[in-house]
Amino acid sequence: MAESTVPVLAASRLGKRFGERVAVDDVSFEVAPGETYGLLGPNGAGKTTTIRLVCGLLRADAGEVRIAGTPVGTTSTAAKRRIGYVPQEIALYPDLTARENLRFFGRLYGLRGTPLNRRVGEVLELIGLSDRATDRVESFSGGMKRRLNIGAGLLHEPTLLVLDEPTVGVDPQSRHAVMESVRSFGATGMAVLYTTHYMEEAERLCDRVGIIDHGKLVAEGTRRELVAKLGERDRITLSAAGDLGVLADRCRDLAGVDRADVKDGEVQLLAADGRRLLPGVLEAAERSGLSLRSVEVDEPDLEAVFLHLTGTALRE
Amino acid sequence: MFAAFVIAAKDLRQRFRDRSALVLGFVAPVAVAALMSFAFSGVESFHADIALVDNDRGQIAVALRGALTGPELSDVLTVRDAADDAEARRMVDAGDAGAGLIIPAGFSAAAVGDKPIGLRVLGNPDEPLQAQVARAVADAYVAQLNADRLSVTTALAAGFPESRAAELAAAVANLQLPESVQAQPTGYRQLRTASYYAPAMGIMFVLFAIGFTARDYFTEQRTGTLERIGAAPVTRGVVLLGKSLAAFVYSVVSLGTLAIVSSLAFDAEWGPPAAALALILAFSAVLVALTALVVAIARTERQADGLATIVTFVLLLLGGNFVLLSQAPEMLRRLALLTPNGWALRGFTDLATGAGATSAIVPVLVILGMAALLGTIAAVVGQRRPA
Repeated sequence: MAESTVPVLAASRLGKRFGERVAVDDVSFEVAPGETYGLLGPNGAGKTTTIRLVCGLLRADAGEVRIAGTPVGTTSTAAKRRIGYVPQEIALYPDLTARENLRFFGRLYGLRGTPLNRRVGEVLELIGLSDRATDRVESFSGGMKRRLNIGAGLLHEPTLLVLDEPTVGVDPQSRHAVMESVRSFGATGMAVLYTTHYMEEAERLCDRVGIIDHGKLVAEGTRRELVAKLGERDRITLSAAGDLGVLADRCRDLAGVDRADVKDGEVQLLAADGRRLLPGVLEAAERSGLSLRSVEVDEPDLEAVFLHLTGTALRE
Repeated sequence: MFAAFVIAAKDLRQRFRDRSALVLGFVAPVAVAALMSFAFSGVESFHADIALVDNDRGQIAVALRGALTGPELSDVLTVRDAADDAEARRMVDAGDAGAGLIIPAGFSAAAVGDKPIGLRVLGNPDEPLQAQVARAVADAYVAQLNADRLSVTTALAAGFPESRAAELAAAVANLQLPESVQAQPTGYRQLRTASYYAPAMGIMFVLFAIGFTARDYFTEQRTGTLERIGAAPVTRGVVLLGKSLAAFVYSVVSLGTLAIVSSLAFDAEWGPPAAALALILAFSAVLVALTALVVAIARTERQADGLATIVTFVLLLLGGNFVLLSQAPEMLRRLALLTPNGWALRGFTDLATGAGATSAIVPVLVILGMAALLGTIAAVVGQRRPA
């Protein structure tokens, strides 16, 4: 009974500062068994620091992390045994073979003898590198290294798999492979904590998403829940030649427009009903003396949620 | 604890797979030690030919000749008899003898008389070392003789019959100075250059390990593998223990291999194996402490590299790895004792010259003390380091 009610990961009021800079500020969230939880935020938002606190790599200034009820600390090992950590970098030894790398990390988690050999074989099979097991990692392609990087975190069959931006700098094919793998982990009942600043990954993979910005968890929930917080707003993107600031100001004055900003050479509007607003937007453009190149109306998504909550585009 | 061995085994596997580390740890020390031994082999094979002129023919002159031709000096000294001073000078000038020693007439009688007579040394400017040896021998013998004269004079003053003075002189001639100053090394065998340069070069090359061990640490930090290890259920202490263990084993294996190879190939003397091993283990411990200090102070690979280079070369220059310390100036010999490698070389030299295994106790204790001190400093500095 207790097993099903205790979250795999419970982060409670976490805080961490480096000197004067607050990296993580009062962050709390939980991840249930079998759930894939996405920590979404731009670079420097505090995702990696949060991950490092979760994995016991940093000592929290405030709050605590529990893995299946066991507290995590920099010196405690019981909780760490349940975590599989996949860092953002390719954290492997290039002068060792794929098998030697996996055996090394497996041994660190207490695997030995037959169970170690069995798991190494299974993981090599899972990541599709059985035929390259005895090759040195330095001879691998970027995608193969990325797969092995994930495989090293799976050896000890963790309760919680923590992936820190595993697709950064990865080619589209490898990225797809990584995402398929993560999707399959969730299906096996493993809880996954996944950080990314790619919106589409969070939308495709995660059961729930926590949006983090400037060290704070500003919103949390399923995609549907987060979009609901926006009041079902649409996003209208206008591309035009001329002074976009004037256009944004005129659009901001239109009834039904909640927000108008200039971003990346475009005007982005948030509105309750984008389609009904279009005539007014076109008129505003004409009055501004601008010729519109394109107009796009998007259904609300996580990026819109993020823009609404933080006033910042996610990829900045 | 098992994790520490796992980390050490991984580090060693990488180290031994790296050809440059193999060359630095095993090939280079043997090659350079062989080269140095060959280059300085003249120092150990020193031999003096001395032309001896006995114008006295008395008991004490005979005793002096006996001392010069005795077994203790036979390895380093050959006495060639010359009929007179002129022949001795000719032999020295012609190079048939490196130096000449002339015992003047009345030398034995002077031993019991009031007027002392000195020995004369003939030198060849081309063979200064041989003249120096001849002078040293003469000085030592005259010092002995003066002691004997003092004994005879004291005996006569105490009422010993003067008619038996010659008998007394013969008796005191067999006496030895009760005290003598012994220079380091403490052993009784001559130090062979191979016996010095084998450990000296071995130590030099394992000191280079400070640099690449520290660099490896920062490489692991940069590539994220260190963080990944930290995420595993191992404490930071175990990680450091594993890395230290690898550096320690590398040093022990490197020096141990050099000891075996140099003993077999170059007849280098390492002394009693247990004592030599104790010195190797102690020095490997201080190597770990030095590496930890460099890692604790440096912030980047480049800093670690620079700092390790400075530490290594300062230690090598002060510790006497490039010169035979026993022939070095007093100042350098004193400075060497401020370094762990200087103490290690002192220990190895004593063992190589036949001093017993116990002669290694002090060097081992001093080196371990240095290791403890450096390790403590490294720990304190490391603790203050921001995460």
